[in-house]
Amino acid sequence: MGLFADKYPEVPLAEKERLWAEVKADSRFPAYLYGCYECGICVASCPSARFYDFSPRKIAQAAAREDLELIYEQMNDDVWNCSQCFSCNRCPRQNSPGGLITIIREVAVKNGLKSAKHALEGYGRVIYKIMGTGTQVSPDMLQPDAFPDWGPQVRDVSAELDLWRRALPPETLHTTSTGWQVDEKTIIELYLIWHHTNVMDMIAEVDEGLFMILNDVMEEKLEEAGYEI
Amino acid sequence: MASDTVLIIGGGPAGLEAARLLGDLGQKAVLVEQKSVLGGRPIDESYAALTHGFRSAEEAMNELITAAQANPSVSIRTGWEVAECSGAAGDFNVRLVKSGNGTSETVNAGSIIVATGFQHFDPGRETQMYGYYEYDDVITLGDAEKMLKEHKFVIPSKGSAPERVCFIQCVGSRDRQIGNEYCSKVCCGISSKLAIEIRQQSPSTKVFIFYIDMRMYGYWENEIYWPAQEKHHVQYVKGIITEIIRKGDRLLVRGEDTTMGRPMEVPMDVVVLAVGMEPSKGTKDVAKILGLKQNKYNFIEVPHDALDPTATSVPGIFVAGAAAGPKDLDDTMSMAGAAAMKAASTIRKLQNSNSKLQSASA
Repeated sequence: MGLFADKYPEVPLAEKERLWAEVKADSRFPAYLYGCYECGICVASCPSARFYDFSPRKIAQAAAREDLELIYEQMNDDVWNCSQCFSCNRCPRQNSPGGLITIIREVAVKNGLKSAKHALEGYGRVIYKIMGTGTQVSPDMLQPDAFPDWGPQVRDVSAELDLWRRALPPETLHTTSTGWQVDEKTIIELYLIWHHTNVMDMIAEVDEGLFMILNDVMEEKLEEAGYEI
Repeated sequence: MASDTVLIIGGGPAGLEAARLLGDLGQKAVLVEQKSVLGGRPIDESYAALTHGFRSAEEAMNELITAAQANPSVSIRTGWEVAECSGAAGDFNVRLVKSGNGTSETVNAGSIIVATGFQHFDPGRETQMYGYYEYDDVITLGDAEKMLKEHKFVIPSKGSAPERVCFIQCVGSRDRQIGNEYCSKVCCGISSKLAIEIRQQSPSTKVFIFYIDMRMYGYWENEIYWPAQEKHHVQYVKGIITEIIRKGDRLLVRGEDTTMGRPMEVPMDVVVLAVGMEPSKGTKDVAKILGLKQNKYNFIEVPHDALDPTATSVPGIFVAGAAAGPKDLDDTMSMAGAAAMKAASTIRKLQNSNSKLQSASA
C-alpha cells in the first residue's frame, strides 16, 4: 500500500485551475521553469526516482504544458515523493523541478489539501522542535525511545551513532552540548517572522493540534518580550 | 578561348545571390528563370518572415532581386527554360527556349551554376493519413505562411481565429515507406517560427508541435526554439500523429505522448503539416539535360561534399542551394557565394592557360 492509499478527492476543473494559478503567481515560478527538452537528466540525478514512481521531468513538463489534470494529481501525490535535494537543478535549461515542487507543496499546504496533511503527519515533532526551539533536531537526539515512529532502524543507527557521524564527509558533529542553543533575541525574531509570513496559518491548515501547542509556547515568550500577536 | 559568361539556372535565393556576386566581380552572368517572376520559393509561396532574423520575405528578396537586376554584368531572362546542353568546361553551348512561343537562343558559357531548388512534399501522397485534400483545416507550412503574411491566421473552414493549432513534423521526410529517408533540415525551425508568429498574432491560440526529434542546430536553437518554448509557450510534444479524423466541426488528432507514456487524442482547429523538401521538377529536368548525376532521392549529387560542397559530377558545372538537397537560407546563400567563386575561377584559369599557350606559340 502506497503513501496515498486513501485517494485524494476529485474536485471541479475550476478548483484545479485556481490552485495552478496560485503556483504560477509565485514570484519564484519564472526562475524555476523555462522550457523542457525532455532529456531526463533530472530523473537520472534524482534519488527519489530510484525508489518511487516519481519523475521530476514530468513535474516540469506538466507545468510547461499547464496540464491541469496532471498538475492536480501531482500536487496530491508525486510532489510528496521528492526529497528536495535539488539534484535536478543540473538541468541544461536551468529549470528547477525541485523548486517547482517547493511551490506546489506550499500551495497544497496553504490550501489544506488532504494529501498534504497526510504527507506531513510524520513531521509534526520535527516542526515542533524547529519552530519551538529555533533550531534543528540534533543528531544525538536520535535515540530509540525518542523516535519510536521512525521504525526499528533507529535502534541500529543510534547504537553506533558517533561512528556513523564521523564517517560522513560534512561537518555534522554539533550536538545539543555544542552551540545548539538559540539565544532569546533570535528566537523572538523567528517567532515574529513565522507569524508575520503566515507560516503559522499554514501550520494551522495542516495540523490544528500542532498549531495550538506551538502557539501556546510562542505566545508566552512573545508576551514576556512585550509583543502581542 | 573560354567563354567569359557564367550561366545561372534558377532565379531563387541561390541563383540571385550567385548573379549578384558574379556581377560584383565584373564577371558576365546570364540568369535563366522558367517562371515569369524572380525570387523562388519565398516569393512564389508567399513566405511571411525569413529565418533567421524574422525579416519580411518580400522585402528581403526584393533587395536581392534589385541588386541582381541593377548589375550591368548580369543579364536576366525570366520565362525561359533550358532545353539542351553540349560542350565542356570553358565552352558549354546551352539552348534556351522561351516558354509558350518556342523561341530559342543558344548561350555560350564557360561555366554553369545550377540553382533550381526544391519543391514541397505533396501531403496527399501515398501512406499519408492526414486528409490534406479531404479537410479544409489541414494545411501545410506554405498555406500557413500565406495566411501569416496577410496577418490573418484563421480556421480556413470558418474564417475565425483558432483556439488550438498543431504542427505535425516530418511529413514526407525521414520515412522509408515514402522513400524520402532524409531530414529536410528546416521544417523544425520553420514550424517553430510559424508557431511564434501565430502566438504573436493571436495570443489566445494554443499551439502544439508534435515531433520525432527537434533538429534545431545553430541559430535555430536560441533564436527560434528556446523563445518559442519559453517566451511564446509553444507546446512541444514528442510523438507523431498517426491520423486525423473529423469530430463534429473540429479535427481530432491521434498519437502518443511518448515522454508522458500515454496515448493521446486531442481536438484541434487547424493542423499544419510540416512538409519536407523534394527536388523540384526543374532540378530533375536540368540534371538530365546537363547530364549531372543525381542521388538516390533525385537531388543533384555532390561527389566531394565535405571540402567541395558545390561540385557536381560534371567539371565546370556547380550547384548551389536546395537543388543539392535540403538547405536553409544561410547555407543556400553561402553555397551560392562558393559556387560563384568556383564558376568565375574555372573561366579565369582556362583563359589564363589559353593565353599562356597562345603566347608560347607566338
